[in-house]
Amino acid sequence: MTVSTDQHKEGKKDVTFRVFRFNPQVDSKPYFDDYTIPVERGVTVLRSLNYIKEHIDGSVSFRAFCQAGICGSCGMRVNGLSQLACTTQVWDVLAKSREPGIIKVEPLRNLPLIKDLIVDMDPLVDKMKHYANWVDSTMPEAQMGKKEFLISEEEFLRYDKATDCILCASCVSECSILRANKEYVSPAVLLKSYRMNVDSRDSMHEQRLAELVKDHGVWDCTHCYRCQESCVKSIPIMDAIHGIREDAIESRGKNDTSGSKHAEAFMTDIEKKGKLVEATLPIRTNGVVWTMQNLLPMAMKMIMKRRTPPPPPLVKSVKGIKIFRTMFREMTEHVKQDHKSHKK
Amino acid sequence: MKRYAYYLSCINESMTKEVDRSIELWQKDLGIELVKLHEGTCCGGSNLEYVSPKHFALVNGRNIALAEKMGMDLIVSCNTCLMTIRTAKKKLDESPELKNEINEILKKEGLEYLGTSEVRHLLWVLVDDVGLDAIREKVKVPLKNYRIAPFYGCHILRPSTVLGHDNPRDPSSLDQLIEALGGQTIPYTHKNRCCGFHTLLVAEQESLNVAAEALQEAIESKADFIVTPCPLCHTSLDGYQAKALKNAGVESSIPVFHISEMIGLALGYSAKQLGIKRHIVC
Repeated sequence: MTVSTDQHKEGKKDVTFRVFRFNPQVDSKPYFDDYTIPVERGVTVLRSLNYIKEHIDGSVSFRAFCQAGICGSCGMRVNGLSQLACTTQVWDVLAKSREPGIIKVEPLRNLPLIKDLIVDMDPLVDKMKHYANWVDSTMPEAQMGKKEFLISEEEFLRYDKATDCILCASCVSECSILRANKEYVSPAVLLKSYRMNVDSRDSMHEQRLAELVKDHGVWDCTHCYRCQESCVKSIPIMDAIHGIREDAIESRGKNDTSGSKHAEAFMTDIEKKGKLVEATLPIRTNGVVWTMQNLLPMAMKMIMKRRTPPPPPLVKSVKGIKIFRTMFREMTEHVKQDHKSHKK
Repeated sequence: MKRYAYYLSCINESMTKEVDRSIELWQKDLGIELVKLHEGTCCGGSNLEYVSPKHFALVNGRNIALAEKMGMDLIVSCNTCLMTIRTAKKKLDESPELKNEINEILKKEGLEYLGTSEVRHLLWVLVDDVGLDAIREKVKVPLKNYRIAPFYGCHILRPSTVLGHDNPRDPSSLDQLIEALGGQTIPYTHKNRCCGFHTLLVAEQESLNVAAEALQEAIESKADFIVTPCPLCHTSLDGYQAKALKNAGVESSIPVFHISEMIGLALGYSAKQLGIKRHIVC
């Protein structure tokens, strides 16, 4: 399957696209097909795939539409990394290819495969619906269409970046927790939930937050930052995830879930000793029963290896804890003041 | 002898004491001295920043200010502490208002956050300041018979806007260190993946699955051991290894070393001196 040029001209190279193939109706297992084509500088991966489909093999299947980084349809893995085929330059990828002259193209991860490079986006759409990721207006129906719904610039800036999301699912494909459990909410869904929750026109904040703190929700994120790193629009997705967590603790209290209890323990310990009291962290997060059931065998091994963290009375405070505590509490007063003026 | 302020990570003071113990053994051999910052406090472990963003800025602005007062860079040997403190530094450097607010409070202790000290991982100091050639010269027991899987962990790579040392998609500093010590790095696709540590207590099953994948690849690649620059990754991959692999139906095991231990071995220190016997998997 080769269309090659007679000679390498400057700005033109023969490039092999190693394309993932799988048609579940015909194939028993996935395989790769190599297509070698001449590619000029400036050509994108999507244009190359279009060329392959038009000139070499019409059966290669992929999803694409706008070809300009706007619609988010052509998310796929190029040399292992989830990105948009339409904004990815062949020559840029080639420069970093492990195997010279070869670009591997595979479907996104963490979503069911339909055929070749096409994944099923329905699980993502279903999650968007589950968390009600749309603005459910607070405006009485009678006023709709008669009155403008103004928001401040300050408020808009809080979700300006989040609205850049084009649902390409690159972050979904790269997510560590989703890889471990497909029920996990997904970074793109959390980003959208955050965007809705900080919108003053929306009325669903509390219900949405109540869903987000349940199992497989916002507290399961492992802070690996793979979502943010792969975002084709450079959206700080982790800021949104942290934003939901901050909101959850503020709106629902620090004892709401194991996630909030775990996070709050850092605040408590830092104020008290300047360092984390690790020995009691599992108990404070999940209670005694869970800790005994889940961690006892490992704790025994750790005792044998003298690896257990010291019990709370033996955790020495950091040097200068008194003055540190005074300063920490002064900041607590600042935060209280901020909240008061914010509420006004 | 180049001197640095050394940040004491909570986990290295409790569960992974072998990290600081092994650094103490060889630091002078490599011409560096890490001055322990006993006044430093917990960074908040990538949690404080959303529990209370302002306390997060104060606590870590103070950690950096302590190093600045000594006129030294702040060196960290835990990935999450590194990412957390660097995130605070970025926020403080970008917001004069926040900087003024914390400095008003820090005055009480005679401290001021200026933004003059860099916050760096020990691995970066070894590769960039000590230098690979200098390390190579000091090697007494080359790790030449070892196939080593380099597990970088997340928070020394991502977010790259905060870390910025290695290419997060294809990092190389740890590979370079291994090679300087005479070891052989293996191709390891999990090198820049997650260990699952941060969800161990909240979503244990998911966390164990994440760890098992990383362990399994190293085992299947016939690596002799995994090495990591992060004590949290070490805890997930060593401490929880048996549980993670049992869960995944894998009947095997693999030792996991800290970079400080790997260096110690190559410089001629014994496994006992380095505290390697304290690992769950030996």
